[in-house]
Order: sequence, then structure tokens, then C-alpha cells
Amino acid sequence: MSRELLNCRNVSAGYGDRLILENVTFSVQEGEFVGLIGSNGTGKSTLIKCISGLLPLKSGEITICGKAHSRLKNRERARLVAVVPQSYHVEYDFTVEDIVMMGRNPYLGLRKKERQEDYEIVKNAMEMTNTEMFRGRLYNELSGGERQRVILARAIAQKPQIILLDEPTSALDVHHQIEVMELIARLNEKEHMTVLAVLHDINMASRFCRRMIMLQDGKVAADGTPQEIINRENMEKLYEMKLVIRESPMFHKPEIVPIRVMQEEQVGGRCRIHVICGASGAVRLLEELDDRGYELTAGVINQGSEDWAVCKELGLKCVEAEPFTPVTEEKQKENLELMKDADIILVADVPFGIGNLMNLQGLENMSGRIFFHKNALSSDYTGGKLVPVLEKIGKVKKITYFGDHDEFLRILKEQEVNSQNSD
Amino acid sequence: MNGKMNRKLLIVLSVVLCLVLMYACTVTGIASISFVDANRILAREILHLPVDLEGISSGSITIIKNVRLPRVILGFIAGAGLAVCGAGFQGIFRNPMADPFVLGVSSGAALGAAIGIVLHFDKGFPGMSGTTLLAFAGSFLTIGLVYNISRVGKKVPVSTLLLSGIAVSQTLSALNSLVMLLNRESMDQIVYWTMGSLNGKGWSQIGQVVPWTVVGIILLLTSGRELDIMLTGEDTAIQLGVNVEFLKRKVLFASSVITASIISVTGIIGFVGLVVPHVVRMVAGPRHNRIMLLSLLFGGTFLIICDTLARSMVAWEIPVGIITSVCGGPFFLYLLRKTKKGGGF
Repeated sequence: MSRELLNCRNVSAGYGDRLILENVTFSVQEGEFVGLIGSNGTGKSTLIKCISGLLPLKSGEITICGKAHSRLKNRERARLVAVVPQSYHVEYDFTVEDIVMMGRNPYLGLRKKERQEDYEIVKNAMEMTNTEMFRGRLYNELSGGERQRVILARAIAQKPQIILLDEPTSALDVHHQIEVMELIARLNEKEHMTVLAVLHDINMASRFCRRMIMLQDGKVAADGTPQEIINRENMEKLYEMKLVIRESPMFHKPEIVPIRVMQEEQVGGRCRIHVICGASGAVRLLEELDDRGYELTAGVINQGSEDWAVCKELGLKCVEAEPFTPVTEEKQKENLELMKDADIILVADVPFGIGNLMNLQGLENMSGRIFFHKNALSSDYTGGKLVPVLEKIGKVKKITYFGDHDEFLRILKEQEVNSQNSD
Repeated sequence: MNGKMNRKLLIVLSVVLCLVLMYACTVTGIASISFVDANRILAREILHLPVDLEGISSGSITIIKNVRLPRVILGFIAGAGLAVCGAGFQGIFRNPMADPFVLGVSSGAALGAAIGIVLHFDKGFPGMSGTTLLAFAGSFLTIGLVYNISRVGKKVPVSTLLLSGIAVSQTLSALNSLVMLLNRESMDQIVYWTMGSLNGKGWSQIGQVVPWTVVGIILLLTSGRELDIMLTGEDTAIQLGVNVEFLKRKVLFASSVITASIISVTGIIGFVGLVVPHVVRMVAGPRHNRIMLLSLLFGGTFLIICDTLARSMVAWEIPVGIITSVCGGPFFLYLLRKTKKGGGF
């Protein structure tokens, strides 16, 4: 049975009169790996400070391993909780071993010297974090990633019940970010160390944590698995920006793709655009057109493709087909129905094969102007059937070919200006 | 393990060096006592060896036994005490410019001494002079004042402590100048006191200083590991189980007791407490157990050497505070230049 290691009940705290945390309540069970997320200034670091005894609570209660936090002496608390800060700078010439040995302080009395046992614990901690090879080197001569491993070793040497990490990787490059996170994950899995980590990188949190707590405006806004927490509603609330959420194909965890904070100029207005897409080439264009205020529809798209995911994400009306099934005539009928009122029919950057060539059938009878991405011509897998189809349409209607998305957006804009002038 | 051996060797060598220098300083001096005679007196009076003292004047025996020897011992205690306090202060303030006087202990002592001199308090107190008593009280009142000014609830922020120490120190110095101006006839004596000297100090002064100093030094020596951790930051120290506020109080109290007891007897001997821990840190690294132990040895030795120079260079006596400052001043400038690179505050 897992036991409760940390319990925060209605915790409120702040600096001076300013309240940063308000009624924060959650608990952490033994062996958990919990990620604490939230935008800047929502109180994540303040919470770490409260738990590690740096900041007294204004109200509420924290218990660690069943003991009331407020009654613990620093020494007792340091045996239960270890902290790894964001980055840690020491101006003095301590060796790596000196620094790790400091983790034994809570167990050593005033006059007591370090015992053999302490040296062994320190050695183990350094082995676990791959820092043993530079035990004799000066701490302040190490690189950021190496330092962070040393501080992790110090935390391990404290033999705590729970390790708190305050954005442990934010000062590191990708290699060292992953290295530190992997070390922590291994510690959690192999040594059953309980971990509560403030992480500003949602994708990192999603990948490594099994549970996430989202703080917002000093309150717990959500608490659950990454799949439960990382949804568009939560994330847009958190970051106040436009972003896309998808499942990482590599880790099968939700991940966010931040898109933009400032909104594009609104030009779309009355214009309706139907996009024929279905691979991954239209993702950016779909998002951008939507953001500019155009009324979008799409089809026929195979489920599971990235274009499809974006359409779902943006809530567009579209005609879908099951994954890897050819577009049938019925589907195309639906599709034509959808594009009947469109001012513009856009054939985006999509490779054509036998399965989706049907998408172009009947376009010549539509009223909207047709734009065609040139890339689609070069990725033609129809065995030469694409060009005749286009020629057939071309006999009836003009097809405007364009080279890239920016060119299309430019044409659109010019058209907008022209139509305004003619009004 | 090799490093451990080296460290032990370093300490043993330092102890031997100190003893040799103490001996050398005892046998040198301006009074015409021959090297052989001085050795004979020491062998008889200190080691109680059956050495014949015939042909040596009783004056010479008194000079060695009751003037030079206590002076060397007091010099060692004073230098050692001030240097250890300096090491403690530099640790707790995380500032290489800190010394035992940074919180105004010296200004308080000087004002107390000045009042004692002006009021001719030094008569009628057997064993301890009134000036000494007032100087001791002055430095303790000062540290209490500075501590209470800086306190915010239960906490004492280090930077506030330093700043209020400087402010109080300046104020007291100004008051001290005022006392001198209003009592021009005592001016010489007050100025001489503030320059610090071991002249005319004997066994009774040692008796006044030793108990305080021993208690203070023991308190400091047991704080080594926690002071190390303090160097890595106050927040980290709390998270590593250090009772930071208690440690501050402990180090402040211990240092104040040591410093006050020493300078109330010797006057203000500057720069020992600044320079010695610094040199030791450069040689021995940042760990306080080592710094404090070596500061103790080298601080004591440094002051003995300075004092021997003070009493032997010219026919009249130069206050030892001048010698230490002449040696320490240029070093202070060197430090200033060095810390310009960054770090500190």
C-alpha cells in the first residue's frame, strides 16, 4: 500500500500583504512522480519554498510523512525533504565531494565528524548521478549540466522521503535537460523516490510525470494524468495563447505546439474557403487562415492525418474518411455539398494518389475560384491521372497555381483589398 | 586519504612553526639580556629544569617571566581570537571584507574606553581597570544595539546587519571624537588606546581574556560545517537542515565575546581579523574547520611577530595596531582590486 508522504491542506502563503498561494490543497503518495505546472508567477516556486521551510504559511497546514510541518526543525525537515533548485551557484572553491557531503548535514551533530557510513552514502549518490569521476574537482568549474547532477547527488545523499525540484532543467541545453530528467525518472522508478517537480516545459512534464498538478492564480486548477490535464481548454487558460495539442507520435503522451500569442490581423470576414487536404502540408495554412478570420471547411480528409487533427482542433466543418480508405463517390458528394458555397476552393500541399484523386471530381461545377498548390503536381502518385483531371477542370474554370503558402496568403490579401475598393 | 594526511601534516607543521616563533619572540627584545641567559631563565622558570640562574639579575628574570612571556602569550591569544572571529564573520556574512569590527564592536569599545579615561575610572578597580570594563561594556552594548536594529521578527538579514553595523560604528566614532575634543588633556591617551598595544600587559590581563576567548573559540570551532553550508546560500542552508538564525546568533555572540574581551584589554588591533583568514582561505580552501584552526595558529603568530617588531624596532614603543595596519592596509587594497572582478556584493 502506498502511503501519503506530503499533504497540503488549504495552504495560503505570500510575501508581505500579497497572497501568492490561496487554499492550495493536494497530497502526494509514496513513489509518485508529480509535475507541478503553471505559468510564470502562479506560485509554483512559492509552494516549493513553503514545503522546504523557507516561507512560513499564512494559513493552512502541510504534513510531511504524517508530521506537522510547522513543528519540524530545519534538521528534521531536511531528513524528509530535499530540494534541487533551478541553478545553483557557489562563489567559493568547494569540491564536488564537499558539496555532496553537505547533504549529510541533517544527520550530523555539531561536533560529530563524518563517519564511514556518510562517505559511503555520498559515494553511492555520486555513482547514481554519474558524478563520481569529478568528485575532486571544484564545483564552480563544472558545466551547468554537471552542476545540476551534483546537486541531485547532494539531494540523494540527504536520504529524503521526497525530492522537490524547482525547474531543474530550465538553465540547461536539450541534452542536459533530458539527462537530468532521465536521472530523476530512474531515481523514481528504481529507488522509488517520490518526486514533486516544478516544470515549465509542458512537453517534458507530460513525458516524464505520471501525474500533473496545474496551478493557476495561486490555486490548484487541475490535478490528474497528463492526458487529463493537457487539453486545449487548460492550456489556453494557462498560457493565454494559441496552441495546438496533439499526441506525441514518439512518446504517446499529449504535447503542445505553441503557435502564437498575438492575433493576426482580421481580414477574412465574409470569405469562405474550402480546403482540400489530407496529409500534413496544410497544417500551418489551416491554422493561419482560421486565425485571420476566414470561414473554413475541409474535406475529404482521412482520419489520423495531421491535417485532420488540426481541423478537429480548430473545430472546422469537414468531411472525413476512415484511415487509409479511398474517398468514395458518396463522400465526395458530401464534400461538394460543403464546398458549394465556398468563395475559394483551395487545393493545398497534398500528395495525390488513387485513393484521394476523387477529391477533385466535380470541382469544375463549383462557383468558387480554384487555387492549386504546385507541390501537389510534383507529388503525383496517380500514375499520370492527375494532370488529365486538372485539364478537365481547367477547360471550364481557371485554376490559379501558387508556389507556397505565403504566396497564397498574399493573393488573398490583394483580392480582399480589390473587393473593398470595388465596394 | 592522501589529502587527509597532507592536511594533518599542514596543521602539525603550523603548530611547530608557531611554537618556534613564540620562543624566538620571547628571547628577542630591546633589553640587554643575552640569548643564553634568556634560555636559561625560560628553562628554569617555565620548564622547571634544574638550571642555575647565578649571575643573572633579578630584573632580567622579571623581564622574561613577567613582561615578555605574558606579552607573547597575550599576543598569541589576541591574534588568534581576532583571526578566528574574522573567519567566522566572513563566513556568516559571506563577504570577504568582513572583519571582527564590522558591526561596530571596536567603536563601542573605543567610546567606552574614552569615557573611562576621561572620568579617570582606572583607579580603584583591583585586577581589572575601569577603562577595560567600560570598553567591554561599550562593545557589548553596541553589538546588542546593532542586532536589535537589524532584526525583523525572528530573522536578522545579513545585509541589514552589515549596514546598520557601519552606521552605528560611524555614529560612535563621531561621539568618540567629540569626547576627545571636549577633553583635550586626555586626547593623547585615548588616541594611544585606539591604536592598540600589548605594552605593559601581564598575567592578570591574560586571566581576564582567556575564559571568554576559550568559550568563544569553542563555539566557533563547532560551527565549521554549518558555516560551510552558509557559504552556499542562506536558503540552501535552511533546506540542508541548518538553523540559520540560531547559527547567526551563535557566531555573532561568540565573536563579540572574543573581540570585546580582547580589545578591551589591548585596544583596537586592526587588520589581523581581516587579513589572516583571507590568506588562510587562499591556501587551505573554503572549509571553515580548517580555516578557523589555521587562522587561530597564524593569527596568533602574526600578532606576536608584529608585536616583537613594535617593541624592538626603535627605542620607544610603536603601538602594535599601527604595525598590523601598515602590513594589512596594502593587502586590503590588493583585495579590493581583486574583488573588482565580481562576486561579493
